[in-house]
Formats: sequence, C-alpha cells, structure tokens
Amino acid sequence: MAVLLIIFMTAVFGAFGDDFIEEIFIKPLPPTHLYSYFQFITLINNNDSFVHSNLSPRSIGEVISRFKVEELHLTLTEGQWRHNQWGYPVVDAAPGAELYAWFDPEVEDIDAEWRKLSATLSGLFCASLNFIDSFNTITPQMALWPTGPVKSNVNVTSLLRYASLPREIVCTENLTPWKKLLPCESSRGFSALLNSRMIHNTNYHSIGVHVRKVCASEDCTETKLEIKQTVALVYDYKIIGSNNWSFIKLFGHGLPGACPLATTSTIYIDITSNVTFPFQLSPPPDKIVSSHRGGSVTNLAVYNIETDVEMINVGVKHNSKEKLGVNVPPPLHFNRYVLGYGKEFGGIVTELINNYWTAIDVVVLENAPWWLPIQLSSLRINSEAESKLVKSQYYSPGRSRQKPYHLELLLTLPPRSTTTITIDFEFVFLKWQEYPPDANHGFYIGSAIVTANLPTAKNYTSIPVSGISYNSTFNASQPWYPAVFRTNGAMVSLPTPDFSMPYNVICLACTVVALAFGPLHNICTKELLLKPIGTPLSLTQKVLNFFKRKKE
Amino acid sequence: MWASASFVGVLIIIGLPLWWKTTEVYRVTLPYDQISAFDQLPRTISTDLKILANDEATASELAALIEVAFEDSNTIKPKIHKAVLSDELHHALESVADEHDAVDEVAAAYNLTAHNCFYVVQRRPLFQQVWLAGERVMFFRDSEDAPIVVEALQKWVYQMSVLDGGRADNAADSARRTRLPPSAGYHVVLSVVHPTPDKLKVNFDAKEAVEDYIGSFVDELSILHNFTLKSQWLYLLNFDFQAREMKDNSDSGRHYSVRRDRLHRLLTALEERAATHVAALPTVNLAMYLVPCRMAPLVIYHDVAKPVLAPVQAFMSPKWGGVVLASPEEVDCTPQAVWHPNTRLIMGTFLAQLRPLLGIPDTAFISGAFLEPLRSVSPRRWELDALLRLRTLEQITTAQRTLQSLAQLLGEISNIVINDEVGASINSAVENIQKASVLAAEGDIIAAYETSKRAYLAAETAFMDPSLLALLYFPDDQKYAIYIPLFLPIMFPVVLSLKNLLLWFRGKPVHKDKTD
Repeated sequence: MAVLLIIFMTAVFGAFGDDFIEEIFIKPLPPTHLYSYFQFITLINNNDSFVHSNLSPRSIGEVISRFKVEELHLTLTEGQWRHNQWGYPVVDAAPGAELYAWFDPEVEDIDAEWRKLSATLSGLFCASLNFIDSFNTITPQMALWPTGPVKSNVNVTSLLRYASLPREIVCTENLTPWKKLLPCESSRGFSALLNSRMIHNTNYHSIGVHVRKVCASEDCTETKLEIKQTVALVYDYKIIGSNNWSFIKLFGHGLPGACPLATTSTIYIDITSNVTFPFQLSPPPDKIVSSHRGGSVTNLAVYNIETDVEMINVGVKHNSKEKLGVNVPPPLHFNRYVLGYGKEFGGIVTELINNYWTAIDVVVLENAPWWLPIQLSSLRINSEAESKLVKSQYYSPGRSRQKPYHLELLLTLPPRSTTTITIDFEFVFLKWQEYPPDANHGFYIGSAIVTANLPTAKNYTSIPVSGISYNSTFNASQPWYPAVFRTNGAMVSLPTPDFSMPYNVICLACTVVALAFGPLHNICTKELLLKPIGTPLSLTQKVLNFFKRKKE
Repeated sequence: MWASASFVGVLIIIGLPLWWKTTEVYRVTLPYDQISAFDQLPRTISTDLKILANDEATASELAALIEVAFEDSNTIKPKIHKAVLSDELHHALESVADEHDAVDEVAAAYNLTAHNCFYVVQRRPLFQQVWLAGERVMFFRDSEDAPIVVEALQKWVYQMSVLDGGRADNAADSARRTRLPPSAGYHVVLSVVHPTPDKLKVNFDAKEAVEDYIGSFVDELSILHNFTLKSQWLYLLNFDFQAREMKDNSDSGRHYSVRRDRLHRLLTALEERAATHVAALPTVNLAMYLVPCRMAPLVIYHDVAKPVLAPVQAFMSPKWGGVVLASPEEVDCTPQAVWHPNTRLIMGTFLAQLRPLLGIPDTAFISGAFLEPLRSVSPRRWELDALLRLRTLEQITTAQRTLQSLAQLLGEISNIVINDEVGASINSAVENIQKASVLAAEGDIIAAYETSKRAYLAAETAFMDPSLLALLYFPDDQKYAIYIPLFLPIMFPVVLSLKNLLLWFRGKPVHKDKTD
C-alpha cells in the first residue's frame, strides 16, 4: 500500500518535472563524535522552472537566472572540521562564509554580476556576503572545477569567482531563510529535525546551498538543474551526555515522517564501526547494504521513511562502556599555522601529510588578503626554495585595497611524507577606518583549499560527480577519488593603534601650536617704544598702579 | 606693521579659503531655480474630444455644456471639436440595430485607434440615454441627455476624481491607495498555496493559467509597463483560519466561516514564504489558497453572522496583490479524486483584482447611462487612455515632489554629498519633467508618458542613491572639537591686530602720540 502511494505521488508531482529527494547520512566518528549530514535535493527537469517553479525555491531560481549563474556553491560554517580525527566529510566547507560561482560565458562584466550576486545572496541568507568585493575575490586556476557538465570549448576558469569570509558568524538567522527554500519548509520531513536550538549546540555545523547542472540524458545533450541544500553537524558525545544517541537526543524530537512531496526519503547510518564499538540500532533498519568502494568496505543501515508514520526515533545503544580506540588518520590530512613574532614579519605554514603508500597529487591554494602581503620569493617547500615536488605554480600578487594575494601550487606528495609549505608575509598598517570593530581580537586568514585526487576511498564519503543521491556512492569504485578540502583558518594580530590617539594628538598639537603662536605673534608685530619719564599717567596706568600698591 | 599684515595675509586671506575649500562637502551645482519653478509649468493634460451630432444646434449645446463642466478642472482640458454627422454615416447609424455595428460604422469613418481621442456620437434609436462599451465611442440619444453625457465623461471616460487624486498633495484617494506606485515594469507572481499535498490531489497548470489569462490582460498594458509573469507552488503553508463550522442548506449541510479580520494574518504567512523581495521590480502577488478538505467550503464572514455572498471567496490587499480562497467540492476530497479547480472563475477574480492594483478604477453607476460589462480579459480602450493620463500625471507629480524634497533636504542637512552621477540624474529628471509637462499640455500622451517615466525613474534614482548618505554620520560637533583648540587661540591676536592694520592703511598714526 505504502509503495503504491509513493508511486502515485511520484506520478502526480512528476508531472511538473521536479523531483525532491531528502536524505540523512549518519556516521559515528569514534570514539567521541557523531557526524550527521542532511541533503535535500531538488531536481528541475525543464528550464522553465525558473519562471514557473513548483518544488524548487523561486528565490534561488530568480537569483540564478538574473545573474546568469551556471553553478553556485554557498556554505556557512561554524567550527572546524578535523580531518585527521574525523576523516572526510561528504562536502567540506571553509569556516565562516564561502561563496563561489561559475557564470554563463555570455556574461560581459563578470565582476559586476559577482558583486550583485553576493549582495543579493546576502539579503537572502542574512549573511554579510555583501562585504565580498574585488579586494577579497580570486579566480582559482587549478583548485576548483565545476561539478556539472560544461561545454568543452569554454574556458571555465575565467568564469569562476571565489571569496570566503572567515570572520562570518553563522547562527539561527541564517538557518531560518535556508529552511524556507525547502518545499516542505520545516513543518514536515527531515527538515523538521533541524531545530536551531539543538543543531547549534554542536562542535561543527555547516549549512550550504549548491546549485549545478546535471546530465538528463546519457550523452548529456540535455541538462537538468540540481539545487542541493546540505547541513553537516558534528555532535560531541560529551555534549549529548553519553555515546548512546537517538534522534530525540540529537534534534530534540523524533522524525515526524517523510516530506509528502519527496520522491524518496532515506536515512543511511554507517555501521562499519560496529565491529570495534559494538552497538544496536533501534528500530531495526529496513535493510543493510555493504558497499565496496576502492578496496574499503562500508556497511550502511538503510531506513526508507514514509509519509504517514508515527514519530520515528532512530537510536543507537552501545553494548559496553566507552572504550578508547587508536585514531587512524586518513590518507591525506593537513595542518596550518602562523609563524613569527613581533609586528614586522611573519609566515604561514601549511603542512600536508600523506600517509598512503603511493604519491598523491594535490593543488594547494593560498589566498591571503591584501593586508597580508605574501612574497613568492619567500616560498619554501620543505625549507627548499627550489623544490622538485612543485609541478606547476600560479601566483597573482595582490594590490593594496584592490586585490588579494593568490598562490596555487600543484604538488606531488611523496609516499608516507610530510610536506611543509612556508611563505612569509609582512605586516601592514591599515587606515584607521579599515580596522574592524574589536581590532584587538585579531584578523582572520581564510582557509587554504587542498584539491586532491585520492588514490583510495578510505574515509572517503563524498558522492561521485555524476551521482545525485547518496546511494550513488554504493560500490562506486573509480581510479581516483576527487576531493576538495579546506584547511583550518588562522589568525594574526596586526599592529593596532590606540584608537583615541589621533584625537589626543590633535588636541595636544593644537594647544602647543596655539601657545607658541601667541608670543611669536607678539614679538613679530609689537614695537618697543621708549617712554620718557615724567609723562602724565593715563587712567589705566593709574588703576594698575593702585592695585600694585595694594599688593605691597 | 608689515609683519602684522603678513600674518593676516597668510591666515585669513590664504588659510581660511583653503580650509573652507578642502573641508567642503562635494556638491554639483543643481538647478534649484528650475526645481522651485515647477509650479509654473503647465499642469493640465489635453485630450481630444469629438462631438458628432445630427445637427449643428445639438453639437453646440453639448459642446457648451462640456466646456462649462471642465472649465474648473486643473488636471484635464478637453479640446472640443464639433461636427455634424455626414449623411451617409447618419443614415447608417439610424438604420443599424446593434450598437456594436454602429461602433463599426463610426470606426469606418473615423480613426478610433488614436490614443487620447474620444468620440461622442449622436444615435437616435438608442434604448438607453447614453451608451458606452470598450471602444473610444460614446452614443447619446439627443440634446436632452447632455447632462448625462457630461457625467459619464467625468466619471467614466476621464475619471476626474482619480486624476485629481493623482495630483493631490497629501490626501490620497482610495484608487491611489490601492494601485501600485509607478514603475518601469512589474512582476506578476501567481502563488498556488497547497497546505495539504498529501491529502488532496490537485490538477492545476499554474503556468498555463497565468500565461493565458494574466498574459493576455497585461499584453494590452504593454504600452505602459513591461510585465514578467511568474508562478510558484508553496506547499504545507498551514494557516490557522480559526474556521468555525456553520449549518446551511447546501448538499453537505455545512460550510466553514473565517472572520474577515483574521485574513490579514494570512498575508503575513504568505509573505514569509512567497519570496517577494528577491525581484528587481515591484511584485504584484496573486495567491491562490487551496483550502484543505477539512474546512471546505470556506466562506469569509464580515462579522459573526454576515457571510460574503460571492461565487469566489477572495480579498485584496492594496499595493500588494490579491488572494483567492479556492475550496474543493466534497467529491474532490475522496481519496481517489483529483481536483480540477475552476480556472476560469479563479483567474477572472484575479483579473478583477489586478485592474485596480494596476490603476484601472471600478466604474460608478450613473442613472440613465449604460456601460457594457467587460466580456473579455482586455481592458477597455478608453480605460487605457485614462490610465496613460493618470500615470503621466502621477509620474510628473511624484518626480517633482521628489526633487523638491531633495532640494529641501539639501538645504536642511549640509553634509549630503551630490556627486556627478546623482547631479546628472537630477538634471535629466528636471529636463524630462519640463518636457513631459509641455507634451501633456499639448496632448501627445504617449510621448508625455514615456518622458514622465524617464523623469520619475531619474528622480527616484537620485533620491535613493546611497552616495547621498556617505557623510551623513560625521557629526558637526566633532569637527568643532578638533578645530576650536587650534583656531581660537591663533585667530584671536590676528583678528585684534586688524584694527591697527586698518588705521595704518589709512595713513593714520597707529600709536597715539603720548609725548605731548
């Protein structure tokens, strides 16, 4: 009966050409964390849906069509994904706000459209994306590639713009407009779980909107538009209170059934770690899938959720007390920090650690703001100025208040090695209006982007480029696994003046000038005249003499 | 003395102007005299009115009456041309039975397609005293009906009160409160709100409905604005109507009531989801709320016991749009049924709401005069002319008022910057206002409309430009706090030495000879 209902629903809503898929992927990150990833995918079959929308959010369609955007990725993130402890997320995101988009080749002035796009998205998501301007926008040359199909004769790189705002603080006011883009809003379906009180009580949370084109036919002559909204959360068992989690503990309440508009509503729980940390799932899953991908095996418990069901509370109970496990880091992980002391020179270090037994090719993108000038001459890889590891290099120097510094390196990381990239910078004095409020807090440097073609799927959870829903990861072995990671951000403290100083200086200098000016004026303009003795006294002199005598 | 003079020279003659010049707020010179002289521009719109009567006497009598009636108007000035019907046309008008055939006869002899030109034609075999349909022709029976002709011209064709309202300074009339402010274009968005997609199957092609009905209506208005037609579905937007079950004599024996004062909350709920703010142009929102089965049919009540008696339950929000509450029948609510809403009726309601929102007012009743009801979606031709006149007048007036307020603000707040771009738009607005006023007074309504639109847009751009506010938050007291400690002690001795300097220039002894 339920299956029939789903087929019928598909028939009714399929008539509009839109599909809606909602999925949750939950993966324990032993021993102390739990990763839960939501994705809500709207597939738009005909291009008319920009104007006449059904399941797709009209506001996104309006933005995409007005600014002629081919592909768009926006993430708003709070916290730091720890790759060496947690492995790889499905979609990685830089801390703060990150926006990048490819424009249509027909757009004449991409920079102007980019600014308008960021200003519009800023209003749509209540984020400070309106601070994106030419001084913090770069065009990555090697690190980012479109995930949708592109025409082979188009130079996509020149159509790309990338900006990140590491200072941006993400909170409920960003989540509420994000939820309004979903066809079921937050009243039904998986989005009902996204209770802002609970999801901001996590170690890491990231919301995102990803718009791209996907192939509608085999030969890709026709495309559809995919709008994917994602939420990634990392819970800490310490915050939940125990390692036995359930929907009620994680989200505050159970799942009230699937969204009635969804074609499929599925929950995937990674139970691979059940071997080392045994636990029981309740209620029992509909089926268990074992996925062999690039030599590693993942076991997933799958729940197909229907519309009219009672509250579902999926949970896990561990058999034994907490155990300590040995953390095995993923094949590639990285670390980033700032060097130096004093207020004159400093350096950024990016460490890339390859644990795997073959070499890995990576692209590292360093994006330094204009007030942190990095010099290419100071670039050292493993303390060598000329390194054989660098296969290709792109450097675009910044310009004060106009353009950020942008360095991209294509490196081959040798097997089982740590590669250190060091680049020095100078500190710059800002104009007094350019300091942010609370300037002594420090200045954020955005994350570096690390793009890698991983030779193994160990810890790899991303969806293949050609795939749409999460089940496309099942047994999806490929020669290599493309991944785009963000390193952690960093903070520097720029020379910060005492902000009341200019006024004090003005007042003091003015007083000194005024005091000096009086005598100077007198000396220059007054003449000294001899006064003969015995002349009759004037009235004022008589008065003065009177007072003088009194004193004596 | 030369030393004293050089101090004065450096500080007052060079220093002060230099300081003044460097701290001055940048402002392009603006045509203030032209802005304040807007009141002297021609304020009326001319329109052609042709009276065709059977004899000279009737024509003259009617013309005289119309002239008197429009004498006091300061918005519209009909240019009356009177003529006697040619024998051929006279004969044809007397003989044809149907009024529409009579209109065709007039159209064969005269050009009815010109904007801003209206015909009042005598036709004896008329059932009513005055007859008017969609074309730019009004029939009347004989000279006794002249007062009704005048009233119909004032209320229907020229819409005097609405036109006056477009000009009025502050007291906005109801038509003005309803219609959207002028704009180069509008988005018309049809939102189909479906709160229970799992319980009620609906078959409604929003795209087709909006393109067929709204599209053919707004195509007629394309001379005024560009329209973009859009539609969207909003699911699961649950709104608590606080509906109460009422017994009645229908087949189901009941209906549900919603209080009228509850409905504005529905607009708030719609506004949250309808994404009205992302578009670049003003949006006309048309929302079709598919009432859930558990409270269908839903009827709007004025108060506890007074239902709104209408085939379609709908309401309108001025300057926002319209909402139709579409209730499914009982048969549509059975599990297998698919509901096909009555598109014709619903879209007809939206069209009726769209007319006042875009500036076509409802027509009043005039006893003795017959106005043929609308048969198709397109507006009447003379309504289009009236709208052109109204929008022209409104745009000129709004642009004038915007510039006048800007000039006043510039006078009151000294640190508003006017950069070259804003200056250019102000100048172009002033120029276009003057041109449009002259064109309107001459009766070239299309050109006047286009020019006034440019003026309006330029004035709005200038007024809303963010660069005006660049220095607004730099308060004056801070400037004084910085300058006073420097200037006061320095200027004091310099200014005092001026007296001696003046005496010295006149050749008088500076020091009194005290030796005697």
